[in-house]
Amino acid sequence: LALYFHIGEREEKCIIEDIPSDTLVVGNYKVQRWDIHIRDFLESAPGLGMFVTVSSPSGEVLLSKLYGPQAMFSFTSYHTGEHIICFQSNSTRIAVIAGSKLRIHLDIRVGEHFLDESVIQAKDKVNEINVRLEHLIEQIHHVTKEQDYEREREEKFRKTSEETNSNILWWAIAQTLILISVGIWQIKSLRDFFIAKKLV
Amino acid sequence: MLLRGYGTAGPWGWLTLLLVACTAWASEITFELPDNAKQCFYEEIVRGTKCTLEFQVITGGHYDVDCRLEGPDGAVLYKEMKKQYDSFTFTASRNGTYKFCFSNEFSTFTHKTVYFDFQVGDDPPLFPRENRATALTQMESACVSIHEALKSVIDYQTHFRLREAQGRSRAEDLNTRVAYWSIGEAIILLVVSIGQVFLLKSFFSDKRTTTTRVAS
Repeated sequence: LALYFHIGEREEKCIIEDIPSDTLVVGNYKVQRWDIHIRDFLESAPGLGMFVTVSSPSGEVLLSKLYGPQAMFSFTSYHTGEHIICFQSNSTRIAVIAGSKLRIHLDIRVGEHFLDESVIQAKDKVNEINVRLEHLIEQIHHVTKEQDYEREREEKFRKTSEETNSNILWWAIAQTLILISVGIWQIKSLRDFFIAKKLV
Repeated sequence: MLLRGYGTAGPWGWLTLLLVACTAWASEITFELPDNAKQCFYEEIVRGTKCTLEFQVITGGHYDVDCRLEGPDGAVLYKEMKKQYDSFTFTASRNGTYKFCFSNEFSTFTHKTVYFDFQVGDDPPLFPRENRATALTQMESACVSIHEALKSVIDYQTHFRLREAQGRSRAEDLNTRVAYWSIGEAIILLVVSIGQVFLLKSFFSDKRTTTTRVAS
């Protein structure tokens, strides 16, 4: 848990994970609170917890739980798209003390990094290779899923570009027609007006 | 304790070694950076470790962000303003906490989505050499090369995905802009042309009344 960042006590911090469907995401975090007396981050603060909320691309909530100061959470995506993982502490302090902040250590793993756990079971050479091969197969599946997702996205991209293209064309034609018709109407209307006023 | 149970210190040995000597880490995070905001990340690095920081702006405005990487003593190792994408490799010269910040303070109302990938050290070897009696078998070296190839496939895939996301974001921006501007222009065109005619008509109507007044 090496990488960390700071947030305010009541602040919510979200990270975005754009993932294909049926992908397992595992997150590890550790949160520490700044203590104003020792001017450092406490190793552990009792009662400090984090609300972890995971929203799917369609807005539905996949995971919403309160965890302790150090925890591991995981979820599997049902749909492809941008999943948003939000962290917010359960600190109920109304008056935010100046300089009070939280340090969050974070590690998010998507897809295929499950190296350590399965190797523990490997007792001999054959099993070890077996485990390695399974890991490689899992990696390949992840690559394939990402590629399928990429194909979907590229199609959406192409559709948007083609829509822009036809929009430009259609609106240019429409504007030209408006221009011509309004021009004709102007001339006609003014001519009728001047004839009526006996100026022509 | 687990090490002593096995005479040859089989898989348990190197696993424990792996956990203890684990200086290899890669974190990749995609987050949203609001306008006028700055987000910093910190990591403790051991001296001599080769680290790589890579970032890319995916959505927002001109797709650029300021990035700054500082060492433990505050020395600026990398500083770039308004960059869309960059990759920076360095070797940690000192032990300590390294800090890197992304700043969107130059932007007044666009928030950006930034992706970064911070790799510390090299990945641990698949079949570590410490407790081995023989060289790698063919199966093992095949596994190693497939693993390396797949890692680079995943790396390229990530780059491609980010570039595509950026392109798509630009295309969607363009589409909405074209739609709004076209509608706006058509409306302005109609309003101005019709307005011109009525204005012109009103000039002649007024003149009529003034001339009659002057005559009498």
